[in-house]
Amino acid sequence: MSGDPEPEFVRFDGVGLTFPGGSGRRVVEVIRQLDLSVKAGEFVAIIGPSGCGKSTLLSLLAGYLAPSSGRVLFRGKPIAGPGRERMMVFQQPALFPWLTTAENVAYGLKLKANRGNGRNVDETVAAMLQLVQLDGFARHYPSDLSGGMRQRLEIARALAVDPQVLLMDEPLAALDALTRRTMQREVLHIWEKTRKTILFVTHDIDEAVIMADRIVVMAQRPTFVLEIEEIGLARPRLREDPEVGKVARRLSALLE
Amino acid sequence: MRQLLRTWAARRLIRWAVVPRAALRLVGPLTVLLAWELSARLGLVNTLLFPPPSKAFADLVVLVSTGYLWKALYASLFRVVCGFALAVTVGVSLGVAMARIRLVNDFVDPLVELLRPISPLAIFPLAILWFGIGDGSKIFVIALAASFPVILNTFAGARSIETNLIRASRSLGATELEIFKGIVLPASLPYIFTGVRLAWGISLIVIIAAEMVGATVGMGYMVLEAQQTFRTERVFAGIFVIGAIGFATDLGFRRLRQWLLPWYRETES
Repeated sequence: MSGDPEPEFVRFDGVGLTFPGGSGRRVVEVIRQLDLSVKAGEFVAIIGPSGCGKSTLLSLLAGYLAPSSGRVLFRGKPIAGPGRERMMVFQQPALFPWLTTAENVAYGLKLKANRGNGRNVDETVAAMLQLVQLDGFARHYPSDLSGGMRQRLEIARALAVDPQVLLMDEPLAALDALTRRTMQREVLHIWEKTRKTILFVTHDIDEAVIMADRIVVMAQRPTFVLEIEEIGLARPRLREDPEVGKVARRLSALLE
Repeated sequence: MRQLLRTWAARRLIRWAVVPRAALRLVGPLTVLLAWELSARLGLVNTLLFPPPSKAFADLVVLVSTGYLWKALYASLFRVVCGFALAVTVGVSLGVAMARIRLVNDFVDPLVELLRPISPLAIFPLAILWFGIGDGSKIFVIALAASFPVILNTFAGARSIETNLIRASRSLGATELEIFKGIVLPASLPYIFTGVRLAWGISLIVIIAAEMVGATVGMGYMVLEAQQTFRTERVFAGIFVIGAIGFATDLGFRRLRQWLLPWYRETES
């Protein structure tokens, strides 16, 4: 891309994270000297051995955790805590079970912090539900929805407050294979429509190759960036495409 | 579409299965009553100790027509409702405070654990000294005994909230107060409700016992007085009324939950 306005949209700058021990717990060093930059509008997949700290990376960016050393910068400023410009989409959807589908999406819009920003609640809710194809389920409770629908609802709730980054923590891991493929297309479709920056943690290498602009390969704990793979292939990409297979094989060799 | 089909099928199943089952559930109690009636009439049991249920129901009619039952019932229910309301108010506030503020937990929890195993009736003689033989002493013991399940369940509910729910709402921009009102309270509500239902059951048990120990009016007093004058049919009449109230109010609580917590799915039993 020529003339990118914000090359330093998200930046991890020599980030280290160590969980202190105490009361019988070991000191755990999760991240060591991690550097990573993400451009605005990019779709970045993060893969790595399980338990290596991929999700922790997202928690740092969401502001749920603070780094022990180094800096996590969002548009040049250190992250001070959670904020609606960086929304997390959890693996096990963290939907509010006492609210209906529509109320879940409206929840963020009705908070004091987001009131009076010119967005009409009902219109935004309707638009979001349509975007994730849940219109017609507005009055259902999360417990009435299937796994794929819950995941889409979670995405709609996050998008409703108009974030700049979506942090997706293995969002499709709990779905069956068929729903998962549909959802991969859905997420790409949402990304193309909204042009939000997406950081997408997954343990499925094929999924990463099919979806992402770039793939970040993380090392075993204490983790750092092992390699970054640019995926230049045109979308839509198919699992059966030999080019996709080639990249996937190279990446999985890296992880062994 | 699948959703629609599922609810439709579920409704059909309920209509088909529950009606005969509800009737079926009456068979047990009716059989016992009938066997009891027959054995009393045939002289198989001592009718002084086991008067036929028809005699108890006849006495119930007398109690109703003379107005004695209403007086006793009103006295008991007034005490129960007051004590229960106090228990719920204090219990929910303390439970939430304990879950949210560590210092409160450190202060209150040992007190709860020390007082909880004591039978409320052991405290009742003291309560009579403090609050008199009237309503005050009963309301006090009910409030004390019934507050424990409310405290403990509210605490458990407010503590077991998914971290991710709080995180999600914080990311969306919620303030601490908004998180408390919008997340902590509704998430604890099913637990609080369980505690409240238990508290009601305890209130009904405690009031009868307390009124048997020291009272001048009330359902417990009525039953005890009947026993001391050897009117066994009245003892049974009183027991039937007490049972019916417990049964009806618990049904009411279940309905109330469906109305208050339509989103809540209890694990199938």
